[in-house]
Amino acid sequence: MIRDFVYLRADTLKETLDILEQCKDDSKIICGGQSLLILMRQGLVSPRYLIDIKHLEELDYIKFSSQEGLKIGAITTHRTLEKSALIKKRYPVLVDMEKNLASVQTRNWGTIGGNLAHGDPTGDPGPVFIALNAIVKTANKERERTLPLEEFFIDFFETALEENELLIEIQIPVVPPKTAVAYEKFNIIKNDQGIVSVAASMTADDSGIKCKDARIVLGAAAPVPKRAKAAEQMLRGQKLNERLLDQAAEKASKEAEPVADVHASEDYRKFLVKALTKKMVMRSWEQAKRLT
Amino acid sequence: MAKYLLCFTVNGEYHELYIKPKRLLVEVLRDDLGLTGTKRACNTGACAACTVLLNGASVKSCSVLALQADGAEILTVEGLADGARLSPLQRSFLDHGAYQCGFCTPGMLVSAQALLDENPKPTREEIREGIQGNICRCTGYNSIIRAVEAVAKGKYKEKG
Amino acid sequence: MKKYTVINTPVHNIDGIAKVTGQAGYTFDIKLPHMLYGKILRSPYAHAKILKINTRKAKRLIGVKAVVTGKDTLGIKQGIWRRYKELCDEEILARSKVRYIGEPVAAVAAVDEDTAEEAQDLIEVEYESLPAVFDPLEAIKEGAPQIHEHAEQNINVTRHIEWGDVEEGFKKADYIREDRFRVSSQAHVCMETHNAVASYTPEGKLTVWTSTQSHYYIKVLLADILGLKENDIRVISRYTGGGFGSKFELDSAQFCSALLSMKLCRPVKIVLMRDEEFMATKRRTPMFYYLRTGVKKDGKFLAKEARVYTEGGAYTAMGATALYLTGFFQAFPYVWQSYRYDGYRVYTNTEPSSAMRGFGAPQATFTAETQIDLIASDLGIDPIEIRRKNAMYPGYEVPGQARIQSCGLSQCLDKIEEWVKSRGKLPLHRGIGVAAYGFMSGGIFNWFDTPYAFSSALVQVNIDGKVDLYVGSQDMGQGSNTTLSMICAEELGVRLEDIRLHMGDTDTCPVDLGAWGSRETLMQGNAVKMAAADAKRQILEFSAAKLGPNIVYDLDIKDRWVHLMARPERGLSYYDAVKETIRGKDGQPIVGRGHYTPHRKGMISPAYSFGVQAVEADVDPETGKITLKNCVTAHDCGQVINPLGVEGQLEGAMAMAAGYGFTEDLPMDEGKILNPNLVDYKVLRATEMPETKVVEVETYEPEGPFGAKEAGEGLTNPTAGALSNAIYHATGISIKNLPITAEKVHDAIRDRERKKKAKKTDRVQRTKQK
Repeated sequence: MIRDFVYLRADTLKETLDILEQCKDDSKIICGGQSLLILMRQGLVSPRYLIDIKHLEELDYIKFSSQEGLKIGAITTHRTLEKSALIKKRYPVLVDMEKNLASVQTRNWGTIGGNLAHGDPTGDPGPVFIALNAIVKTANKERERTLPLEEFFIDFFETALEENELLIEIQIPVVPPKTAVAYEKFNIIKNDQGIVSVAASMTADDSGIKCKDARIVLGAAAPVPKRAKAAEQMLRGQKLNERLLDQAAEKASKEAEPVADVHASEDYRKFLVKALTKKMVMRSWEQAKRLT
Repeated sequence: MAKYLLCFTVNGEYHELYIKPKRLLVEVLRDDLGLTGTKRACNTGACAACTVLLNGASVKSCSVLALQADGAEILTVEGLADGARLSPLQRSFLDHGAYQCGFCTPGMLVSAQALLDENPKPTREEIREGIQGNICRCTGYNSIIRAVEAVAKGKYKEKG
Repeated sequence: MKKYTVINTPVHNIDGIAKVTGQAGYTFDIKLPHMLYGKILRSPYAHAKILKINTRKAKRLIGVKAVVTGKDTLGIKQGIWRRYKELCDEEILARSKVRYIGEPVAAVAAVDEDTAEEAQDLIEVEYESLPAVFDPLEAIKEGAPQIHEHAEQNINVTRHIEWGDVEEGFKKADYIREDRFRVSSQAHVCMETHNAVASYTPEGKLTVWTSTQSHYYIKVLLADILGLKENDIRVISRYTGGGFGSKFELDSAQFCSALLSMKLCRPVKIVLMRDEEFMATKRRTPMFYYLRTGVKKDGKFLAKEARVYTEGGAYTAMGATALYLTGFFQAFPYVWQSYRYDGYRVYTNTEPSSAMRGFGAPQATFTAETQIDLIASDLGIDPIEIRRKNAMYPGYEVPGQARIQSCGLSQCLDKIEEWVKSRGKLPLHRGIGVAAYGFMSGGIFNWFDTPYAFSSALVQVNIDGKVDLYVGSQDMGQGSNTTLSMICAEELGVRLEDIRLHMGDTDTCPVDLGAWGSRETLMQGNAVKMAAADAKRQILEFSAAKLGPNIVYDLDIKDRWVHLMARPERGLSYYDAVKETIRGKDGQPIVGRGHYTPHRKGMISPAYSFGVQAVEADVDPETGKITLKNCVTAHDCGQVINPLGVEGQLEGAMAMAAGYGFTEDLPMDEGKILNPNLVDYKVLRATEMPETKVVEVETYEPEGPFGAKEAGEGLTNPTAGALSNAIYHATGISIKNLPITAEKVHDAIRDRERKKKAKKTDRVQRTKQK
């Protein structure tokens, strides 16, 4: 049963932040509400004020420039990202990720900002955007700030957002040349959340022989989307071969801290991290080294 | 708790009503407007039996606050047929036995309609993906997929 | 003239338009004037004494109209096996003890659902937790907590089936194989959750609208527990949003709404939430299976011994039937020279396990068919060949149990063999598995203790030739309304659109036991055919004067034409004949009556369906992930009535059974179901369904209407076994523990590799030592 609340609808960002400042002690932002309403129905969340930003058009955009990279307004729906020609051309991994994220209905109404702010470690966008080095921009009444998405996630369903803050934008800085990103989740029912997921971003050196940079992010394998930094370090500056891949994947699996639940044991999840890490590193590497 | 004004259009008919803000779109459609074709079958947004079109896009009406539909145009299963004239998808569902108990059928039809509106010639795989969110416990889906495919192939153009 | 003018032609379901337009009114959609909403408080304990219930706070909440507890009941223990008192072991609201998490303890009615929910939280129940037991193998041990006073070692029901000399069979066997299986539970997941609207009026009459598979059972069971006369209760159920075996026992929504309404004389509606549906509406019976099987080296089946312990849960429910049927179908559909089955249903502190589509047979078929492939592989015999060698055949008698009349099993094997061969060489990590199966067409046993015929029907022919058909059966989506209308139209010689079907109302419909055990086509179908024949005969008697046959049996009606069978062109219009008949009957409409109760048909069923299914699947050797590719089924359901309906039933059963095979499960922790929602409980989606193909093998079943028999439930039997065999052929690994999850396959492959490696190292070391 959803408890009664005061419904507040803001028409501008400024207004939203004003309201948020006033009601910060006991409020929740709703946009797509695809996760929030379920929590509210279960009585897990029952705010006194619900601030609706679904209509805040000024946060609904996808912008790209070759100097600054990509900027996505927080209330952009999953479906808009999935269908965007620009995203498809420049960040195909995002389209891929979106196509496998929940149902069409959820993607039609749910938003990228809402997904990230929910802080669910099994979410798909987290690992991919972290692999892409994403930065989030937040705002309160007084100021705006940016921080790496990686630092945005703090714990299970907990983010760095302060109670008077709103997530307003996701940025992907210019991607270095010869860089490719791959993402996959393991599940049994397509479009379910991943039992684990792995995103890998590989950058090749000019010759396309050695790995210049690597970013590996594990989803559903820790309380937050987690970088496998030791595994990344093993790859940097190296020529890739089967043995190194296996070792790096093994390392990533050791870095994972999954927990058992009804869907999989801890061991199996660790194994899946290993298998997916190898696959994603290979997939992104194969693309990266061919890029000009 | 105060009630708020909700103005929206459902199946082409304009409505104004005062509701508590916690009410979900599905509740207002079913309880206030008597459009009981739209069903609810889970409490976790997982089954899509409550699918309706909101400004042309499919959404789960159990996962949308009714007030968020303010100013929107909604289409429910009741809006698919034109009087006694069934829509191509409805006719195809009949011909292909694409329903059994019928409880998921309204949501399934609306989801399939959304798919065809967006992509009139989906492949079989795209149809599977398009209705992936909708649970049907009776048919095993394949008859539904055949029904959508038949419409996509133009077998139900006009006449009815 | 065509043999049949109505049946064997694909038609839309007669309630199809209502369903595709959203006009079909389910109980879920009912809203009555002055209606209240109810909620049920359930036990959070698996096993506990109820010390005290305090409802004062709840009653004081504004909007709350009534709260009921066990004290408001007559205290009668109810159960569906009414003939056996000790098996009626379930109180509708627990009075002194709860035995599973989810057991109803109290119910509340209020002006709206939210208020009822709030009130539910205000009911204070004081429990004293008792030691609980969850595993049947633990529960049966001496010293285990005793769940019911009457059941020592928690044994609820035992079953023994035996024929032939089993010991002798094993002696003669060239090869003996033993296997142990653990077969999991499954939830029905009806899209419409259990619900009811009860309305009691001061005249002493109770009307209950409910989503059910049997309005007759619900009426009688309600009468039992409420102390009303059967016919003071009216049960109405026009549309049922899925049943699958979960909706023919009395359910908490029904009795709680009835109790509350009787107290308030206002309509009360209760709709179970999805988590209640998972926790407390019963489930498929989990089983521990031990099989010992002896065969000749050519694959001839000699002896089989089966020992089964089922996890019964807290109450009997329909579990006693599942226990019998799993034993019977373990030997199906083969000829076993000797067979011995011992089944034990054990009480545990878990949700009662009961009837679910297949009713014990899917468990039997999975274990039997998996073992048969292992035997075939051990002996180097082709899987289809070994099945053919031992297949049942028309006229076979299962000793002391059943007589098989029609049986198309060998044709089904031929068809599937053809398809398997057409697939040619399969890619790596892909396998095809087959499984043969059979099922009953309605049960013979009368544990419910009804004095009525098992099925009855009434046909009324009106002056304009239109026909009212009254049936007691329930259409829960399987299409019986259409099938029965087709049978009626065919027999009477009219068209489908001439039939107006009346169902789902105990006040106007004759008794039928309901839609379970695949009984409607054969049993209700026979009653309908008889009623239509009765009406037809009255028309023919009046027509005889005009047409002048030697005897009335020389006349028939087809497609609205009354005629001499030998000279079809000589006849008269059905409409004229009907008018004349009614005129001749003092202006009374023509009424035909029909009924059916099986007799002298053995212990189980009057007829059996047969089939063979092939499942083709990929297995990822690394992760163990299973992907279904194809599923082809050859099915003998006798004469097909509605081909569209049969196809739908077969495909739908397959999807449910595949879920049972590899994705669906109800894991528990201390009796608490860990995934009581549709996010964590994994039913297959459209993206997981393989391509399906159905090959119909027609036979003629002498006991069925027009030769028809079962076509919907039996298909739940083969898939888990066929899938398990496909995985075996793809990987060499046999998983004997359902569901066959990716993780289990992965673990088994890894273990095998480790063992191989260990052996190799061992060998290398030994060589070095040399």
